[in-house]
Amino acid sequence: MTRLGRLTRRFGTLLGFLIVILFFWFNLPDTFMTARNLLNISQQVSMLAVVAFSMTIVMVMNDFDLSVGSMASLAGIVAALLFSQGSSVFLGVSAALAVGLLGGLINGVLVSLVGILPFVATLGTLTIFSGLAFFVSGGKTIFGRDIPAAFSGFARAGLPLGTLNERPLLLPNLTLVALIVLFLVWLTLEHTTFGRRLYAIGGNREASRLAGVRVRLLRLLAFVLTGLGAALAGLMYASRVASANPTQGAGLMLDAIAAVFLGMTMSEEGEPHVLATLVGVLILGVLDNGLTQMQVDSYVREMLMGGIIVAAVASSSLGKQS
Amino acid sequence: MPPLLSVQNASKSYSGNKVLDNAWLELASGEAHALMGENGAGKSTLIKLLAGVVTPDIIDLKLNGTPIQIRSAQEAFVLGLRFIHQELNVVPQLSVAENLFLQSVYPKRFGLVDWRSLNKKAKTMLSGLGIEHIAPEKKMARLSTGDKMLVKIAAALLGEANETASVFVLDEPTAALSSEETGRLFELIGQLKTRGCAVLYVSHRLEEIFALCEHVTVMRDGKTVASKAISETKQSELIELMTGRSLQQVYGKRGESVFQDVLLDIQRLESQKLKGIKFKLFKGEIVGLAGLAGSGRSELLRAIMGVDASRHEILLEGQPFLASSPSSSWEQGLAFVPEERRAEGLVLSHSVANNVALPHLNQMSHGGVVLKRRLQAKKARALTEQVRLKARGMGQKVKELSGGNQQKVVFARALAASPRLLLLDEPGRGVDVGAKVDIYTFIRQLSQKGTGIILASSDLTELLGLCDRILILHEGKQVALVKAQGLSQAELLGLCYQTKAAA
Repeated sequence: MTRLGRLTRRFGTLLGFLIVILFFWFNLPDTFMTARNLLNISQQVSMLAVVAFSMTIVMVMNDFDLSVGSMASLAGIVAALLFSQGSSVFLGVSAALAVGLLGGLINGVLVSLVGILPFVATLGTLTIFSGLAFFVSGGKTIFGRDIPAAFSGFARAGLPLGTLNERPLLLPNLTLVALIVLFLVWLTLEHTTFGRRLYAIGGNREASRLAGVRVRLLRLLAFVLTGLGAALAGLMYASRVASANPTQGAGLMLDAIAAVFLGMTMSEEGEPHVLATLVGVLILGVLDNGLTQMQVDSYVREMLMGGIIVAAVASSSLGKQS
Repeated sequence: MPPLLSVQNASKSYSGNKVLDNAWLELASGEAHALMGENGAGKSTLIKLLAGVVTPDIIDLKLNGTPIQIRSAQEAFVLGLRFIHQELNVVPQLSVAENLFLQSVYPKRFGLVDWRSLNKKAKTMLSGLGIEHIAPEKKMARLSTGDKMLVKIAAALLGEANETASVFVLDEPTAALSSEETGRLFELIGQLKTRGCAVLYVSHRLEEIFALCEHVTVMRDGKTVASKAISETKQSELIELMTGRSLQQVYGKRGESVFQDVLLDIQRLESQKLKGIKFKLFKGEIVGLAGLAGSGRSELLRAIMGVDASRHEILLEGQPFLASSPSSSWEQGLAFVPEERRAEGLVLSHSVANNVALPHLNQMSHGGVVLKRRLQAKKARALTEQVRLKARGMGQKVKELSGGNQQKVVFARALAASPRLLLLDEPGRGVDVGAKVDIYTFIRQLSQKGTGIILASSDLTELLGLCDRILILHEGKQVALVKAQGLSQAELLGLCYQTKAAA
């Protein structure tokens, strides 16, 4: 393949992203490319971003975690339930994260020690977590006074960046959380022995095992981290909407996988990298924001987004064949 | 009477490399004909020509005296040639009867499959071949390997109504069979002979050939070196015909040193596939593992490395050693070069540096956590220079390298920890001669530094050239441990085949 061909294949997705931005900029000249809207997008995608970043960890090993969405719902419910019984914010948040850790551990045990295909194992736990969220909440949304102001206030606050048009400009706390998770996952995957071993497992599991990589342990740990990330995203969601209901995380899983796939089109060997996942997340977020502002019907929006995902992955796959 | 199938002047080169050079073969109707030779002698290429899978440069083929051509697998099938490989193409989800009649139309009743008459037809056919113990309703997946092979041969016999099979080619059919299954297979081959078919039988097992075949053709270096009636030859002659080469200079000089310090003391080792393993390896010694396919060479290495579970009592430099997992073995100073370089050795899509460093990431990091990338690249560079790797740089993807250079990457990885014990499985396989010499040089250098080496190989020249002692395995059992010096290839092969004459 020519050098140019290789470059367009690798950066085609990025180029598409720029075109999308330019498109909205042109069509929404007053509202799209403003500091406030961009910060708004960053907050809108922050929960998806956290799920997608932690999904990247398992997808590096060619595994999947389908249970992240229902884990996010469950974590939100657990925290809200504890709040409604008068627990402190610290206790509620810790319990929710512990549930994420435990759920991830269950996924890890099923996949790595029992040896069930990740698709099947996490499809099972998806259903279990979702059922559990309904069961413990009685199917009801927990909101209003049950949610302490300290918890819901977190999502509304942010780091002051200055003032614009006499209103303060804030870097939302949720965006900050997503950035911290991004940094941690990037550090873990790209610069720790753990991360490099995960990539080796993804490249050739048997060869990694024979070269002394503790494949089973590492796979298990990776699923734990993904579960933890999903729970964190669930908490962020609950804080943002100041309520929790047993289905609110459901949409996160497919979007997260889509974001990782979009990112994978940018790497030479088709392996996921968390910075590329970030681009995937931003593509989805910008599309959603821009199309909503252009008052495109939400069903049309879905079709458009699905089409763009398929087109991006297909063009990258065709590029690799030639 | 002309031979049933005659192959003359068969030649085939791959990029100037002659793999077949004027080879010839004649099969008579009603006989089982053995085809023998070392790995790389050209047997499998010859078979592939017959199967229509490989196009020959030159070949003269005659079937019943009539010139024929085989340009595709389809043509080979129409001419009545049938090939039974070790990997059987059966449909495991379907029943025996269905597998038998897969290529023909199932009997029908009211437009639906008539299972009863299908099973009855299958039963008649199987018993006609003397196979009465396999029920036609049974799922193929539940059959043993041997029974699957019997069904496969029966299905091949069936063929299409107007095309009867006349030549059967069996490629190492007994490699995975028990002796009882082998007996059944031989009965079926007897049936084929009485029907006037010719059976070309490829095997390394000498006793089988003397029990089964009427004729034997031996190949070496792409040429047919002899073709004899089995009654006019004997095992030692066949062994000499197959090997027939003197030791080459490539293996380097064996040290004169006397080994004193015991490195590895395997007092007992047993697993599903191994029993009665017990030997000592000295520091700086190279012990070879010899044996036929399926004798347990690779299994023994994998057991010591902790890849496969085994019950064992092992001392490493006097300390108890537990082979529990590859990771703990690497940590205790073992290094492993596995047999399947691409499937088991390398992460092909990753860089040279990553592949070399993989087992040693902890030593190249801050406290085992944060990787020191620069150190990783530096160490990889030093090690790959040592093994004379030809690569563009440490960042080059391993899949872009030649087979020999890929093997050098696996070696560089093994060297990185300055191992106490190095386990090598087929180190010279699929490696060009230049890289081979480099690799053998390294094995020598390492042993001179005191590393103990266990080397499993199917290449007898390699074993005799490199090793100080050779341990011979037969069906998972340790049968002999002999000094390599002064041993001839014929003697070693004899030991592998467990013939009385050579032992």
